[in-house]
Amino acid sequence: MDSFLEEDAEAVVVDGKRRRKRRRTPAAQAALHASLHLPFLPPPPVSSNEHKLNFKKSKEACLSYIQDALLQKQWKRAAEFLTCYVESLEKDYSRERIGASEMIWRIGTEILWHHSQSSVKEFSCFMEQMKTLGVKRYLKVCLEHVFHLLCNGQIDEAYQNLSLAESWRFGEQTAIQDKEMKLIQAYRGLLDYCSWSKQKSILLEHGEDEFSDLAVEQEMHSYFRKAAVNLKEIIKIPGVWDVFVKCYVDLLEFYGDHNEARQVLNEYAYNSKFPANPNAHVYLYQFLKRQGESKKSLISALKILHDIVPSHELMINFNTMLQKSKKRRKRRLGLEVIFAGLDYAGWKENEKAWSCLARQVKQIVISEKHLDWIKQEWNSRKDWWPAFHFSRYLAKRNWQENKNLSYEKALVAGILLGRDCKYFKYVSHQGSKAQLKRFRMLKKFVTRHNAVYLRISGPPVSSLPP
Amino acid sequence: MEFPAALFPSYFCAGPPREEGGPAPAAGWGEHGQVLEGGPGRRQVQPAFVPRRGATGERWEAADSAAVPVLLPRAGCWIPSPAPQDILYRSSLCRKLRIGKSGATLDFARQLGHFFVDHPEDAFGSLGRLLHKNFYLGNAKLKRPARNSTIRMTALLEDIDRLEARRGCPRQHLASRLRWFSHLCRDWLFEVPLGLLADCLHEELTQQWSNLLFDDSLTGGALAWLPPEDGGTTRGCLVYPGGQAMNHLYFQDVVLEGLPHTRGSPVQFELSGRIRQVAAARVDGQDFVGVRSDYHCGVWRVPGKTGAAPAPLQVIRTDVPASCLTVSPHLPGELSVCTQSGTVYLWSVETGLQKLRHDSQTMFFRDHSPWRWSDFTAHPRVLSCADRTGLQCLDARAPKRCHFDLFKVGEEAGCQQGERVVLPMYLGRAHPSQYLVTTQFSVYVLDERLPLVPVLKWPHMMKAPPLFAHLMPGKPERSHRVLLGASRTQELLLLQYRGGSQSACQLAGTPQKLHNIAGCLQHLPTQLPHRHHLLQQRLSAPAAGLAAMLQEDGPHKSMLIFQLSEAGDVFCQRLTHKAAQAPASPSRDEATTAPGSSPLFEAPASSPHGLGTVPSPAAALRYRRWLRALFRAWREPARHTWPPSLSQRRLFTRRDLQGPAGPSSLQRQMRQRLRQTMQEGGRIQCWEPLALQPPPLPQTRELAGVPDPLSTRLTAAWAGDWEQWWEERTSFSVAQRQQALREQRRRQKRARGRRSLSASFTSSLTYQSELSELSDEGSPPAGSPPVHRPPPSPAPDEALLSSQSFRCRGIPKERRKTLRDYLSVWAEGPCEPPEPPGSQASQLCIPSSQSQLSSASQPRRKRPRMGF
Repeated sequence: MDSFLEEDAEAVVVDGKRRRKRRRTPAAQAALHASLHLPFLPPPPVSSNEHKLNFKKSKEACLSYIQDALLQKQWKRAAEFLTCYVESLEKDYSRERIGASEMIWRIGTEILWHHSQSSVKEFSCFMEQMKTLGVKRYLKVCLEHVFHLLCNGQIDEAYQNLSLAESWRFGEQTAIQDKEMKLIQAYRGLLDYCSWSKQKSILLEHGEDEFSDLAVEQEMHSYFRKAAVNLKEIIKIPGVWDVFVKCYVDLLEFYGDHNEARQVLNEYAYNSKFPANPNAHVYLYQFLKRQGESKKSLISALKILHDIVPSHELMINFNTMLQKSKKRRKRRLGLEVIFAGLDYAGWKENEKAWSCLARQVKQIVISEKHLDWIKQEWNSRKDWWPAFHFSRYLAKRNWQENKNLSYEKALVAGILLGRDCKYFKYVSHQGSKAQLKRFRMLKKFVTRHNAVYLRISGPPVSSLPP
Repeated sequence: MEFPAALFPSYFCAGPPREEGGPAPAAGWGEHGQVLEGGPGRRQVQPAFVPRRGATGERWEAADSAAVPVLLPRAGCWIPSPAPQDILYRSSLCRKLRIGKSGATLDFARQLGHFFVDHPEDAFGSLGRLLHKNFYLGNAKLKRPARNSTIRMTALLEDIDRLEARRGCPRQHLASRLRWFSHLCRDWLFEVPLGLLADCLHEELTQQWSNLLFDDSLTGGALAWLPPEDGGTTRGCLVYPGGQAMNHLYFQDVVLEGLPHTRGSPVQFELSGRIRQVAAARVDGQDFVGVRSDYHCGVWRVPGKTGAAPAPLQVIRTDVPASCLTVSPHLPGELSVCTQSGTVYLWSVETGLQKLRHDSQTMFFRDHSPWRWSDFTAHPRVLSCADRTGLQCLDARAPKRCHFDLFKVGEEAGCQQGERVVLPMYLGRAHPSQYLVTTQFSVYVLDERLPLVPVLKWPHMMKAPPLFAHLMPGKPERSHRVLLGASRTQELLLLQYRGGSQSACQLAGTPQKLHNIAGCLQHLPTQLPHRHHLLQQRLSAPAAGLAAMLQEDGPHKSMLIFQLSEAGDVFCQRLTHKAAQAPASPSRDEATTAPGSSPLFEAPASSPHGLGTVPSPAAALRYRRWLRALFRAWREPARHTWPPSLSQRRLFTRRDLQGPAGPSSLQRQMRQRLRQTMQEGGRIQCWEPLALQPPPLPQTRELAGVPDPLSTRLTAAWAGDWEQWWEERTSFSVAQRQQALREQRRRQKRARGRRSLSASFTSSLTYQSELSELSDEGSPPAGSPPVHRPPPSPAPDEALLSSQSFRCRGIPKERRKTLRDYLSVWAEGPCEPPEPPGSQASQLCIPSSQSQLSSASQPRRKRPRMGF
């Protein structure tokens, strides 16, 4: 009797806590709790009559043993405890977020993944049982099962499971179930696409055999229809759907529906409800390139990519594209792009990028036009680029690791910081010690144009060409 | 840096989190998340899929059965932080209360009571002194005239005791006497107004309690490992706080052969505050170590060469406690600092502080936590700044205009309700644009190039929020290792993930729990119960920091993980890499039995808990040595750190405490002499045996009555305390002086009247002063003018603590004073360390505090010597 009372009391405590959390609590009340909603509050001080284990407590203890075993990769031990834990289904009245049945599903799956003696058959059997254990979780368990099959290369079984799950109906669907259903359909579309591309490759390989051709072609078209319907659905919803979009665009392109493809890609890239996914812009750019679109539209697509991810690897292409341009404004943008890219730590040792910058800076210095571009770019960087790119330590390391890189960097450093800059001095010294012609030329070039450095780093002079 | 060609599919919704929050003990298991086409088998007919979670990872196995100590404990006692039972109210009543309302009830009354008992001087000092005559603590009934102005406290105390005994009884009634008393005194008795005091105490209590639940001042951890510059992995430098107040910063060289051990003595800096965080980053071959305490942040530079001494560079002071200090991995001498007022600074050693943002409100929704964090990003001029609601990146060149949201607690990242950011960390060493964000439920990996959508999410299922994280980057496209550490529970979790540039981010392998400090308790030699308890308390102190390093020795890879506890202990463990791993699930034999007779459960129950259950001999030796040092450290400082206490032995010699065991030799001698004199029918002229006769002192003969001021002044001047005499004359009120004089005269009269032999003999004649007094008073039986003692001898006392009662109990005079002092020290609580006895002539070592001097001994000293 006592223990029952105790358990009831605790259940109410849990409930009370929950309710309080949902409400907005006054500050004084909140101060009694941690500033954070903690997953597990420290246990309250134990009073004398709490030593008895009740069902709830032993359930928790069992779960913690399982958890411990899982975290130490003791799969057998965890499995043994799990068999005990199954009893907790007997009295699963808790209103916790993750009920006992879900825990059994999760833990069981994890154990079966790693247990040395588990088999695929056993795994499927377990999954089937788990699907019937909770109605609300049916779709999720199905989806996870499919993932497992897919990762193990059982594409056909996965497809069957997806079809089965798709036809499942149970009352009204919750929002989450709706999402899961859409995902199931999308993955089915993806698998249809895979079959389609398989048929396509068969068709392309055996182009001359006409009889089988027709059947294969028809099958392929049916796959296309099935895939297109499902894929089209999911990519309307905001999200990251790189795989699905790629497949869908591939399908559309194959059947010559370029307008639809363009629309899909534009939507994926520019709809503000979607996250700012760089891949969306990359796909669009690649599509435009495949379509042989004009330079202008390619540049505008890349410009937007530049705005959201200045450190994207396509920025080097962008820069070369801009450098080749006749327009002054575009060349200027090119300089901006390459400077911005080199701001990022990931580009520090990017030889290509440094050579792009070196080339453009050299051009400008030789032509003595537009020195103000460099000046402007340099202005916001002169307080930190020397330490970030042109320290003596880096000069040493770059020289040891990559001579080409140190050459390009030394050229830029020599122009931007003058011939007395540590980086340039070190590299040119090492270069002349190693008797490399390239470095001698570099030294000469920098010495000849040392005046540029003064103009770049000096105060704004009105006499500079506009 | 490349961006993965395709990312794992995910939904993207804006808005507050929809998923209901709450403890989810197994939420991280059994899910693949999503799958993505790709992987190695692209050329095959069958498309290959890779899961977001569940890919195989590296296998790391613990090399030993528990963590071993790296440093020997230093002398200096660690004071454990309060435990829940110190603060919380506990009784059966409280359980019932709790059910209805909140989770915890603070025992406010007990704490306030502690305050009154521990600091009575601060609580009631002045009024207590004023009123002490009006309170009577004895058991006897009060006499009529005293009753008008005196309260008998004994009854009140009894009532309080009764109340305490009935604590928790729902039908308790306050005793009317108590109510009356509190009604009477509540408004004026307290030195600090009671309401104000209670407010402060309550505030402190709630803060202590919330710190106990979750202390975010430790975020980031106070342990750093500085690897050597030359790439050798057998040595390094450990940076950690130490000392009793954790205000010493140590740089200790550590050699990593076998069990890591220290080499040489550490470089030590004493700081002016408790060290909360130690952050380190390596730029251009130099390590920069940032140290954060509440109001100060400092930065040290450690040259990469082995054996080079660390040099302090700069210190800043903040008005509001700082909550974050991170060191830039891009530029030397750059740090970012956040304070609890919501200000973010970029701190450069060369150019000083630059304020980037000031906003006392949280970013995305309202949260009351003042915690702020900031870290660096892939762009050296762009800093992330975080609060509990999310992360924003801002450009230091134009912080107002250029910023974007990196992470939001909300549906965008699929958060739960109540989820809050606990620790953000820049993962630049693994991938320049990756970011780690931990919350109390999950761990996220973010990519700056795709803000708001985590590229990886996993519910970590840790029991306490992970406050510490450490990254050990792997080679490109190999697994990166991330260690998460919690403070209160000392949990350590090892995660692996890979991807980010060519392929999408994947969680690799299963998370792995590592040994914590408390786990080594079972491997220590058995201790006495009380020592075991102390040891347990020490070992399970909350963790305060985490550091790790990867050691590659040809084909052998191992990982060393250091963990710091709040007690200042640094423990470490080694994990070794197992290269050969059984191929993953795809190639499993399918020909097995039916699930009913599954072989899963056939394994015997005695599966190993760890690798070895017995520590290696080296580890065992290390434990023993550590224990020995620990117990030595516990013994040593005990004298200094305990609250000053008085030993009875110092007040009373053992002989005194033994009671009347037998008459002393002197007494025997005296008795014998007395008996002899009585037999002879004569009289005793002089009591002293000749040997004990004190050296003759200049005896001033004074006339009875009030001496003229000139002679007193001259006397005082002669005695050397002329100044005092002047003070008395000017400050002492005439009435009080008269009173004192009267009192003294009365006492002297009484003393003269009582000059009977029996009364004199009750005392044990041990001290010269007493003897001289006796001899002075006893020498002329009548007629001759009274002889006065020299000034340094103890003056007869006034009735401070009912000297009559002492006298009644036969306590000798000089003991009375000692006893009074003793009692008053107890009443006042331990304040100052004992002072050596000064001008007061009692030869005993009497601890006397300042307050006691002011209340009791000063008037005594001030009293002019009158020749009665």
